Amino acid sequence: MRLIVRTLSELCITVGALIVLFVAYVLFWTGVRADGAMNDQIDRLHRQWSTGSVPAAAATAPADPGAVPPPPAPYHYGEPFAIMYIPRLGSTWDKPVLEGTGRDVLAKGLGHYGGTARLGQVGNFAVAGHRRTYGDPLKDFPRLRPGDAVVLTDGTTWFTYRIDKGPYKTVPTDIGVIDPVPRKSGYARPGRYLTLTTCDPEWGHSHRLIVWGHLDSTQAVESGEPGALRR
Amino acid sequence: MYGWFWRHLPGNVWVKLLVSVVLVLAVVYVLFQYVFPWAEPLLPFNDVTVDNQ
Repeated sequence: MRLIVRTLSELCITVGALIVLFVAYVLFWTGVRADGAMNDQIDRLHRQWSTGSVPAAAATAPADPGAVPPPPAPYHYGEPFAIMYIPRLGSTWDKPVLEGTGRDVLAKGLGHYGGTARLGQVGNFAVAGHRRTYGDPLKDFPRLRPGDAVVLTDGTTWFTYRIDKGPYKTVPTDIGVIDPVPRKSGYARPGRYLTLTTCDPEWGHSHRLIVWGHLDSTQAVESGEPGALRR
Repeated sequence: MYGWFWRHLPGNVWVKLLVSVVLVLAVVYVLFQYVFPWAEPLLPFNDVTVDNQ
């Protein structure tokens, strides 16, 4: 009898310790890992850009002037291609944007919905990110307001988007929010749009929060940071 | 359970203590490296997209 009670209580303590460890893993360890991974991705992009692989590709003048410029390199699943800055979320807030929205991708940064427009192109450049866990990249999402800047760079160009609408709360099946012209955003004709999505409530998954923006301005990297980033 | 474990560890008290600490660390490592990453997607924090890819 005593043996049974003792074994049972030991099991309970073990399960309790397991739960505490798991909470520590979810709240703390995923963040440590994700922060490291995101910094790695950003370093990788900076290295790529500084070795000139992207600018070189853009700068190779075609031998004959009539030639069509080569199409930009396609995005590869899981590979970073841009860095996003949102001044509203903090002056040090910078996150890599990777292609794809798989779980493995979102553990390393923000994920670009495959099949939506490329950065700066006509259509809807849609990006998803974690609200909580994995470094909490979009923790302060509800603080975004119309007029806020979302700045991205792909190594050659700065893209400054301005938020027009949001945060807008919807259900997870509402895939229309990442359409080329999202109906509920208030946009009427095709343009260069941006959509950010994350989960809502903060620790749940019953809804999604959305913000929409449009491309406000672009400038070459050589001409310095855009005004939205200067303080 | 743990008493049985303790009795079956070799050596004197210090060796037993050392072996237990190593074993506990090994268990925590396996949990963090393999078990928790598997269990974590079952929680809702990963659902941030609208098309559930």
